[in-house]
Amino acid sequence: MTSTLKGITLKGSTELVADFFSFGINSILYQRGIYPPETFSRVTHYDMSLQVTTDSKLKNYLTNVVSQLKEWLYECTVQKLVLVITCLETNEVLERWQFDIECDKSAKESSAPREKSIKTIQDEIRSVIRQITATVTFLPLLETPCAFDLLVYTDKDLVVPEKWEESGPQIIDQSEEVRLRSFTTSIHKVLSLNLKHSSLYEQFVVLHLTCCLSARCVALVLCVLLSFIFAGFHLSLH
Amino acid sequence: MLDILSTYDTTVLTTLRSFNTFISRPERSQLQSERSAESGNLQNQYKRQMELLEAAERVHTQHRYLQLDQEKKQMELSHKRARFELEKAVSESARDLGHEVDRNQELLGRIRKLEERETEAKKNLSEQLEENSSLCKKVEGLNKKLEERDTLLNAANQTITSLKDEIRDLRQNIQNQELTISTQTLENQELQEQLDLQRRKYQEVFQRCQSLQDAQSSCSEHIIKIKELETRLALQEQDIVIVKNVKSEVARLPDLEKDLKRLRDENAFLRESRENCSLLKEKVEGLRSKLERMEKTKEELVNMELEKEKLQAWENLGQSTGLNIRKPEDLSREVIQIQQREITLKEQNYALGSRVRSLERSQSTLLAEMTQQSSKIMEEQNKREAQESLVRRLQRRVLLLTKERNGMRAILESYDSELAPSEYSPQLANRLKEAEEVLQRTQNHNMDMEVLTFSLFQVELELETAKKEQVSAADSCSSATKEEVNILRQKIEDLEKERQRLEEQNNNLEMRLERHNLQGDYDPVKTRVVHLKMNPTAAAKQQRQQDVEVLREEVTRLRELVRSLQDGGAVGLSQDLRKQMESSKLTNQRLKEVFQKKIQEFRTVCYVLTGYQIDITIENQYRLTSVYAEHMEDSLLFRKGSNGNMQLMETEFSKTLGEMVALHLHHQKSIPAFLSAVTLDLFSRQTTI
Repeated sequence: MTSTLKGITLKGSTELVADFFSFGINSILYQRGIYPPETFSRVTHYDMSLQVTTDSKLKNYLTNVVSQLKEWLYECTVQKLVLVITCLETNEVLERWQFDIECDKSAKESSAPREKSIKTIQDEIRSVIRQITATVTFLPLLETPCAFDLLVYTDKDLVVPEKWEESGPQIIDQSEEVRLRSFTTSIHKVLSLNLKHSSLYEQFVVLHLTCCLSARCVALVLCVLLSFIFAGFHLSLH
Repeated sequence: MLDILSTYDTTVLTTLRSFNTFISRPERSQLQSERSAESGNLQNQYKRQMELLEAAERVHTQHRYLQLDQEKKQMELSHKRARFELEKAVSESARDLGHEVDRNQELLGRIRKLEERETEAKKNLSEQLEENSSLCKKVEGLNKKLEERDTLLNAANQTITSLKDEIRDLRQNIQNQELTISTQTLENQELQEQLDLQRRKYQEVFQRCQSLQDAQSSCSEHIIKIKELETRLALQEQDIVIVKNVKSEVARLPDLEKDLKRLRDENAFLRESRENCSLLKEKVEGLRSKLERMEKTKEELVNMELEKEKLQAWENLGQSTGLNIRKPEDLSREVIQIQQREITLKEQNYALGSRVRSLERSQSTLLAEMTQQSSKIMEEQNKREAQESLVRRLQRRVLLLTKERNGMRAILESYDSELAPSEYSPQLANRLKEAEEVLQRTQNHNMDMEVLTFSLFQVELELETAKKEQVSAADSCSSATKEEVNILRQKIEDLEKERQRLEEQNNNLEMRLERHNLQGDYDPVKTRVVHLKMNPTAAAKQQRQQDVEVLREEVTRLRELVRSLQDGGAVGLSQDLRKQMESSKLTNQRLKEVFQKKIQEFRTVCYVLTGYQIDITIENQYRLTSVYAEHMEDSLLFRKGSNGNMQLMETEFSKTLGEMVALHLHHQKSIPAFLSAVTLDLFSRQTTI
């Protein structure tokens, strides 16, 4: 998997970012239980084991989206990629996984490779995926049958390809945000964000946890887990 | 030092002793001379005491002086001793110093020598280290060679051992294979024997199979026969059941006939009564209609009376109002006249009102004019007053001037009178001129002052009028300016408040925008949100909708089924059940027909063959009528007892057969013989007759 090139070109950066999205979306689908876990198989990538779907229809859909996304990343016309999870019964948006993409447009013209080792980029990607897996621990279980959709925020003057159509932004009203880590290939920068529908109890817990993740303290995380359990008791009592 | 102190003490003691003795002597002498002359010795005593005191003091001072001398001597001695000792110490230390210095130099020389030796030793060391390193390298080279040779040797040894192991393994393999070959040959023989056994068994089994198959075929034939017999049994049982049902139904027949007769009689009776009923009903209806008509006429009567009263009232109206009213037309005419009068009056009213208003307006304008005129009058009054004051002032001035003039004239006259004797005219003339000038100046000054005061007064008046105007009529101007100022201030304040509010709004909106951007909102001018048409959410929603529709259809279908089931049982059944029901009904009907036919046949056959028609009148009671019976009512009644025996019941016909009953039933105890005897008897009677 190591390439012999020393720097990062625009094409290489798009490949890295598209790979990240492909594996990241797969792991989110596995972690949130949108598809049953037996439809996933384990693969090794970025020096860690990830879950990738084996369902042919889903694979087809993901490859379509990711290939189109690669084109747009190469042209630097994409601003955000959003994974929206909706509840099928109430048609309500429950979660949004938002990936903001900042593209350095000067890389197109210069076409000289930038100095950033692939190892550091892979390390950053690995930490982001690990953080995604960690955030799932404090998200509520999705009990109702859910479906997901991938939205792409592009520039207005873009020509919409034939299989794509415009859609609404699928915003959650009364949401809570958890900002995750970002990684950069020195040409593309990807910021990750998770929004979910809020309730009073969860607001209390999320406040704690956002402080913890920013402080990166394991002991604090344990304290929060204890408070979580305590709050669970409190709720059960009521 | 101690000797000195002891000498000091001794001198002190000696002096004290001497002093004491000195004191005691005079005391003794005093005592001695006391008796002799007491009075004259007091002074001497006093003097002696004084002398003693002085001596004591001297002694004391001497003592002190001696002490100090001794101290001084002692100090000097100590000083000397100290100096002596110090000199000793100094000399000793100087000696030590010299010794030390010598030692130091010796040590320095030694150090230098040692350092030289050290450098030599280091050089030697380095040389030796180099030799060592070279030797080490040689040794290492030799060691490496040794190791290589060792490894080669080891490798050779290992190959030897491995080859030996291989040889052993191969030999073992050969042995194992030989063993296996032998075992396999043995197995082969065993297997062949087993094969033979199996073949024999197979042949036996084959024969058995054939026999079994034959048996099975016979079994199946038997089974078929059994089934046929079972079906026949079932059919017969069904026949029995049907016969029982039919018998029970047949037993009910006479009751039904009785009911029929009763009902027919009732019917006839009811028909007769029905005609009567109809007649009565017609009468009742006629009466009712009459009643209604009467009631209607009553109501009409009442109404007519009311109208009559009304009309009378109307007639009286004419008399009561005093007008010439005979008909309602007159009334209407009067009403119209009144209305017209009313209209005219209203018009007059409105005209008057408008005139009043115009008059009021004119009055108001006149009032305004009046006020203006009054104000003008006031102004003119003020002006007049001013003029009057001016006039007064002028009159006062005139008076003053006349007075001055008179005075001046008087002065002049006096001066003239005085001038005649004296010749101070030029001076006087000068003085006069000066005085006149002064006068003129003062007068001018006065004029100016008066003008000023007048102008001031005018200004004051104007101010007052202006103030009044402001207060009375143009009060609004100043207040207008004040109001304008206030309004402008308020406007400024309002604008500032609005600005602050707008700033806050701006901040809030910016925060909201940021928050929305974070949540995923976008600016439609710059960005666009796209997704694939065939996305999992859309597919899932479609699937869900399809499922929902399918479920709804099923629900409606099931509801219809349930409703139909609730409404009519046999009608609403599903098609299968309906078919089954219909088929079962058909079979029932067919069976009934078949049974009826069969029963009829059987009964007729019985009747023909045995000569008796057997009817079941009541449960367990059988009535037999013979073919050859003389009368229709001749019948024999048999009852089945609880123990199963048939007993003959008493009937009119059986009374005539007393002999046969006694013979066949009582004596022979055989009912068929009795019955056949009866038939024979009847037959014989019939044929003979």
